[in-house]
Amino acid sequence: MQGTLMDQGLELMLFGMGTVLAFLSVLVLSITLMSWILARYFPVVEMPQGSGASPGRPPVGVLESPAEDARLIAVISAAIHRHRSKKSQ
Amino acid sequence: MGNFLNLWRDSGIAQMDMGQGIMILIGLLLLYLAIRKGFEPLLLVPIGFGGILANIPGAGLAYSAVENAAYGADPALLGELARILGIESTENAKALFAAYAASGAQVKMLASQLVNDAGFHDGMLYIFYSVSIASGVAPLVIFMGVGAMTDFGPLLANPKTLFLGAAAQFGIFATVLGAVYLTSIGIMDFSIADAAAIGIIGGADGPTAIYVSSILAPDLLGAIAVAAYSYMALVPMIQPPIMRALTTEAERKIEMVQLRPVTTREKIVFPMVLLLLVAFLLPSAAPLLGMFCFGNLLKESGVVDRLSDAAQGSLINIVTIFLGLSVGSKLVAAKFLDTNTLGILGLGIIAFAIGTASGVLLAKLMNKFGSTPLNPLIGSAGVSAVPMAARVSNKVGLEANPHNFLLMHAMGPNVAGVIGSAVAAGVMISLVGG
Repeated sequence: MQGTLMDQGLELMLFGMGTVLAFLSVLVLSITLMSWILARYFPVVEMPQGSGASPGRPPVGVLESPAEDARLIAVISAAIHRHRSKKSQ
Repeated sequence: MGNFLNLWRDSGIAQMDMGQGIMILIGLLLLYLAIRKGFEPLLLVPIGFGGILANIPGAGLAYSAVENAAYGADPALLGELARILGIESTENAKALFAAYAASGAQVKMLASQLVNDAGFHDGMLYIFYSVSIASGVAPLVIFMGVGAMTDFGPLLANPKTLFLGAAAQFGIFATVLGAVYLTSIGIMDFSIADAAAIGIIGGADGPTAIYVSSILAPDLLGAIAVAAYSYMALVPMIQPPIMRALTTEAERKIEMVQLRPVTTREKIVFPMVLLLLVAFLLPSAAPLLGMFCFGNLLKESGVVDRLSDAAQGSLINIVTIFLGLSVGSKLVAAKFLDTNTLGILGLGIIAFAIGTASGVLLAKLMNKFGSTPLNPLIGSAGVSAVPMAARVSNKVGLEANPHNFLLMHAMGPNVAGVIGSAVAAGVMISLVGG
């Protein structure tokens, strides 16, 4: 690169910013294309992994069976009952 | 009595000069900030301690063998050294070393052979520095570890956020301009390579900044690394005022649509796509992004968990220790305390502020003209500083709207910023260094 220091700086800025933008634009295109190709031609059978959720363990709040559900409700209502009766004393 | 005098002359107090004292205080300040205030302790503890070690008077831990000889050898050896270097005076250690630095490879070898024979050796920190930073290895290994820690999911779900990562790199180039401007009006004295290395601070990416300055401006490395890491630690303080100033209350409240789930396959293919693009378009960014992609592939492939664990765990920790101590070794008073350092610290924070601002501004633009709502606060995460910048976006968003969780959305621009600053680094190296 020739010219005064200032010119060099300007040149570096134009080329640099231009390259960064161009590169990332191409990357955006390639990502979109990649996702489209993968979704179109290689659809996944497995459950898509959400971020953070570990496979193999049911998420918190989902219960295994209705029977357990009923038991849990019983336990909770007993606890609430007890708490209220304590408070009213 | 003579022995006692000798011991006294050898002691730290007798040899201490003003600069070393100041630098030791700066080292203690860094330690205080790291331990008491929790600023980037993983880096500032080694850097601060390295800085103190480097300034211990008479120990010469951060000096090469020739420098140690120039400061501590007896007159006979100094005379010999001056003869080899072809200069007259043997009194001034700095002049002696300057002559050494300016001389050719053959003379250098002769000189270092001479001092080695006389029993002078490279200081411990100097060796750490040569192995980890001067060779360029440490930043690259850290990049591999960062790759192994990075989840590209949010970016893949919303690729548009890459543009935010690009916009934030404007800070880098604006600062280059600022540095050459200061030089052209005569306040500072930076070459175009120096200016490029200083600008990279605006990328808010420690390893990238160290990598670039070790190639383009090794003599400024200490100041640049300290500036880069301290500003990374200051992200939660520097960014929010800028973010608030540039956005309206309503914009800060914008809730974004939930990201689509990303399949494992996309995550595995992505590092390869990125690597191919780098290989085709910008080989000078290949060392940084290559290691980054490699680390990410180790993580996402799911078949080499042991390697992935090593890369993001013990290996990155080991390298961080040596990197920190080596950066600290650049805090030698003779090299650190000058006006250029002040200039670097000042320019660095400007770089950072401009990067933050341009990210936010582009995000505002994208929100105005895009089809889906986009909270401008995530634009500031386009400066790298993973994951701190994303957390800041999240925090400022929560202040405006307690139900607005921007963290995952901000991770997209955040990792885009890492890619963006590595690309900017590649451009700098190929335009200026070549």
